[in-house]
Amino acid sequence: MADPDLDFQTGESGASATYPMQCSALRKNGYVVLKGRPCKIVEMSTSKTGKHGHAKVNLVGIDIFTNKKYEDMCPSTHNMDVPSIKRIDYQLVNINENYMSLMSDNGDIREDLRVPDNEVGKEIESKFEAGEEFMVSLVSGSYLNEFSYILYLSAPT
Amino acid sequence: MMAAVGAPEVITQLESAAKVLMAPPSMVSTEQRQHAEHVFLSFRKSKSPFAICKHILETSKVDYVLFQAATAIMEAVVREWILLEKTSIESLRAFLLTYVLQRPNLQKYVREQILLAVAVIVKRGSLDKSINCKSILLEVGQLISSLSPTVPPVLYALLTYSLYCSLTHEDGLRQIFMMTMEVLQEFSRRENLNAQMSSVFQRYLALANHVLSWNFLVVLLPLLLFLLLFMLLLALTGGDSLGRHYIAMFEATQNVTLKPTESWREALLDTRVMDLFFTVHRKIREDSDMAQDSLQCLAQLASMHGPVFPDENAQISYLAHLMEGLLSMINGIEIEDSEAVGISNIISNLITMFPRSILTALPSDLFTSFINCLTLLTCSFGRSAALEEVLDKDDMVYMEAYDKLLESWLTLVQDEEHFPRGCFVQPAIQVFNSYIQCHLAAPDGTRNLSVNGISSHDEEEINELQEDDRELFSDQLSSIGMLGRVAADHCIPLLTSLLEDRVTRLHGQLQRTQQHLMASSDLGSVDRKVLDDLYEDIHWLILVSGYLLADDPQGETPLIPSEVMEFSIKHSTEVDINTTLQILGSPGEKASSIPGCNRTDSVIRLLSAVLRTSEVESRATRANLTELLSPQMGKDIVWFLRRWAKTYLLVDEKLYGQISIPLSTAFGADTEGAQWIVGYLLEKVINNLTVWSSEAELAYDTVELLVTLVEKRERANIVVQCESWWNLAKQFASRSPPLHLLSSSVQRTLMKALVLGGFAQMDSDAKQQYWAEVLHPLQQRFLNLINQENFAQISQEEAVKQEIVATLEALCGIAEATQIDNVASLFSFLMDFLSSCIGLMEVYSNTPETINLIIEVFVEVAHKQICYLGETKSMKLYEACLTLLQVYSKNNQSRKRSDATAEEDQYQDLLLIMELLTNLLSKEFIDFSDTDDVFRNQDQGTPASNRTVSAADVVLYGVNIVLPLMSQDLLKFPSLCNQYYKLITFICEIFPEKIPQLPEDLFKSLMFSLELGMTSMSSEISQLCLEALSPLAEQCAKNQEKDSPLFIATRHFLKLVFDMLVLQKHNTEMTVAAGEALYTLVCLHQAEYSELVETLLSSQRDAIIYQRLADAFNKLTASSTPPTMDRKQKVAFLKSLEEFVANVGGLLCVK
Repeated sequence: MADPDLDFQTGESGASATYPMQCSALRKNGYVVLKGRPCKIVEMSTSKTGKHGHAKVNLVGIDIFTNKKYEDMCPSTHNMDVPSIKRIDYQLVNINENYMSLMSDNGDIREDLRVPDNEVGKEIESKFEAGEEFMVSLVSGSYLNEFSYILYLSAPT
Repeated sequence: MMAAVGAPEVITQLESAAKVLMAPPSMVSTEQRQHAEHVFLSFRKSKSPFAICKHILETSKVDYVLFQAATAIMEAVVREWILLEKTSIESLRAFLLTYVLQRPNLQKYVREQILLAVAVIVKRGSLDKSINCKSILLEVGQLISSLSPTVPPVLYALLTYSLYCSLTHEDGLRQIFMMTMEVLQEFSRRENLNAQMSSVFQRYLALANHVLSWNFLVVLLPLLLFLLLFMLLLALTGGDSLGRHYIAMFEATQNVTLKPTESWREALLDTRVMDLFFTVHRKIREDSDMAQDSLQCLAQLASMHGPVFPDENAQISYLAHLMEGLLSMINGIEIEDSEAVGISNIISNLITMFPRSILTALPSDLFTSFINCLTLLTCSFGRSAALEEVLDKDDMVYMEAYDKLLESWLTLVQDEEHFPRGCFVQPAIQVFNSYIQCHLAAPDGTRNLSVNGISSHDEEEINELQEDDRELFSDQLSSIGMLGRVAADHCIPLLTSLLEDRVTRLHGQLQRTQQHLMASSDLGSVDRKVLDDLYEDIHWLILVSGYLLADDPQGETPLIPSEVMEFSIKHSTEVDINTTLQILGSPGEKASSIPGCNRTDSVIRLLSAVLRTSEVESRATRANLTELLSPQMGKDIVWFLRRWAKTYLLVDEKLYGQISIPLSTAFGADTEGAQWIVGYLLEKVINNLTVWSSEAELAYDTVELLVTLVEKRERANIVVQCESWWNLAKQFASRSPPLHLLSSSVQRTLMKALVLGGFAQMDSDAKQQYWAEVLHPLQQRFLNLINQENFAQISQEEAVKQEIVATLEALCGIAEATQIDNVASLFSFLMDFLSSCIGLMEVYSNTPETINLIIEVFVEVAHKQICYLGETKSMKLYEACLTLLQVYSKNNQSRKRSDATAEEDQYQDLLLIMELLTNLLSKEFIDFSDTDDVFRNQDQGTPASNRTVSAADVVLYGVNIVLPLMSQDLLKFPSLCNQYYKLITFICEIFPEKIPQLPEDLFKSLMFSLELGMTSMSSEISQLCLEALSPLAEQCAKNQEKDSPLFIATRHFLKLVFDMLVLQKHNTEMTVAAGEALYTLVCLHQAEYSELVETLLSSQRDAIIYQRLADAFNKLTASSTPPTMDRKQKVAFLKSLEEFVANVGGLLCVK
């Protein structure tokens, strides 16, 4: 899914790619690095070994770039890496030969992104053809130099 | 259809269809199978199939066809009952019975179906008393007396059959009872039945003989027992059980007690009856299935009460006889596993059902032997239960039996004053000791020891769903705690010394481990076995101590148990108060090292032992040994302290007749002791929240302790004087580590505690400062954040999101802290947030979990505060909710929800919205705002007529949003479905006048929802919808508008309910709800009702059916003509409806 053509100016603004967080403080729907991959946490449960054992957190996450599922378990006191995730909303202005014209809040236009080849992409096209006004959100993780994009569609604010 | 063709053709057709159905799946096509099924279905629906069925039964050789013929007869008889002559029914019944008796080789399923048909005929006949029960019983009786071991299968069938007969008649019941007793007598007299029969037959037919005798025992006897038990149950209900299905009754046996009428006196008070049961049980007890039946019978006899006893003396001698029988049974045998539950049921029943005066009137040596036996039995079951746990058995019979016996002890001990003083002390000590022993590790105890004395120690994975022992075993622990109070002199010092010993050992073990770690610093090399054993010991000792020292009643102030108070008072003269306080105040020191430690108050000493445990734990955390500690023990400690604090801290002398000086000196209001403890507990809480943020449950228990400390004003007053409290507040408000690591529910509850504390007594400066440090930072940070110019851009950053989520959680916590005397200020504070929260709905429209949290804030505010709000305030809240709903609705229009695989929790927002609406509605029936004018200073001079938004408006607007979203697919999720129907039924009941004013679309979908709920949902939902109809119909009647949509809709509902009751099979539980709805609808649409009846009648071509139907309808409305909305008439209508449904219900289902 990672697009080699994609150059994302806001991606490498010098912020660190990950930051640590105590495992027990992670939340469902939040992000975490599992097996070296940035994941969105879809399931979280705790267990312990023996009645007087300490809590362990079982995590199930979906790679935000590849949609692959990862699982991990770690003591709840341990720190896990959390990937820095960024989201930017754009207004879709035009679609030209499968490339989108996106306008950010401050008026900048970028035209380097293709309509993704998935459900969201189809929806973008149909909404665009129907003349609806809507926002396209890019989610990026400046992690492993990969960028994921267009995870959300939203109504204009 | 069948009548048109001749009998032989029909039989041929059915037989070939049967062949198709019986064929293996590979041999026939689906179409063929369906066709064959259809053949049988239509055959069973054919009109008056009696002649052809008889013919089939007599001629056909295909079992399945015979089975279908029996089914057809059964269904047709019920359907056409009122059309049939009584004599032809009788001859049909006789035919079927003779048929079965003459054909002993029938297939079992055919025979049972035929007998079922007979039984149904008898049962239906009993409704209009057209079947002669006596003659049937006579037939059965003759069969039983000619009983021989070779006929068990037929007998089985007959007994089943007579069971049905017995449903009709109490006399018949007693006759069967007497017959059964004869059979049982016969059985018990043949002392060496098995041996004798074996010796006779062994030479000839060894195998067959074995089978036969086995048959006799296995098939016949349980059946008789079952029968007997069943009759006893029937007697309980006075024999009037016609409307209920016998299976359902049988399932209910466990909880039903025996309450026979007077007419049973002679039969049941005959001591031989009871002796017989004991004898029977002795004979069959090794067969676990049968033993259960016979013990269940005995348990039923042990529950006997009511008019069957002529006077107290009869009751006393009955009970005495029962106890003697029981004791000699128990003492003479080694109890089998399968007997444990049954025996404990007998004991539990007799203790629960016989009045204390009867128990105490027993000969004292009998009562003493009984109590001794009960004691031994309890201890023995307890040990066996512990063994079951070690072996991890699936079927925990001893655990169940032990629970039952402990429950019986609780019943006995709670009524202690009726019994001779002190008579339970020794037994209590024994049971208590054995409980402790089973829960402690060797050498003091036997925990985890299997039979051969080897201890097992396995580290199993435990998931978060597993309940804590304090909940899982709360019943056991309550009983043990109660017994501990009865024998307080023994038990409290015992617990103290055991706990002090374990704490000393734990301290030593931790120290040794620390030294070991300094040498190797590898945690993995630590042997946890010793530590875990100590933790488990401490775990149980603390749980028992908690249950012994205090109760945990919901919602009321718990009192110090009188036994504990008396115990402390009794010894107060020997106690040195200063030493006691010294022991209490020095949790860091070994209790035994303090001079004079033997002259301390034992109750305080037990608390001190727990505080010592707590101190060892806290010190270990400071020494960085947290990883060696047990979070479970941490939970136990704060759980205990919370329970203890609720009862003992700031003990109020006014609540007690007598107060113990040591207790009031140590924990009373304005004592140093109380202040010291509050400070200590607060430190404990803060330490735990810092150290244990990774253990969610422990952190939650800890924060609950904090809530306990501040939820009562008197305690809170001391808390807010502690500097550490202020530090905690500041730390939390600044979201500085480590508190921000706590789970959301802990943070929410912590906020609640901090708010509650803010209403303690402080001088106004302090108070102002407190709020400035607790609530204002929250508001300030929130406002700063959302008012940033680039908030829209940064809003999706994780850090920002976290801040927003934390604020929303805190708001929920603040709402949860609402009490009647703080609602005024909290409401104003929260209101300021609510509108900003609505703004967030837009920003986070793509983050469902945040949206849910925002709605949750509204749900909590409405839930906790609406009942206190006056008119102006309520209106403000309504307005806010309305805006929320508008935004929600707007956002939802663009939101995709078509995912078919979506899980229930993805619709959490809908559920919350419905919850919000329901909470708003609740104002209509729970409203404290008039009596408690909590807003006196703020609400002045608001004229009522200014009311612009009402609850109804908001709720209806909300429904307008929810309704289109609630697709039929979503209604498949039970929680959504229930909440939805709860909401719309509520609306119909509370605002029926608003329904006609709804916009057309909304009105239509509401009506459609009701129809859907009535016709295709669970019976519970269906009932809700039916209940909503009456208020709607009444509303129409009030309005008198003949062509309003509601009027037209109710007309439609009339037809629906009419069809439901008359034409369709329906759940009998619903007859009442449907009947009430029907009646109101009939009142409203009398002409249409007559029309419905007319149409139905005119479709009947058969003159007889027509007449019978017409009569039935006339009878139905006879008592309520003309129908008016009058309660008396309605009740009369409902009564005749029941009869009506029984008479014509089945009839009209015929094609």
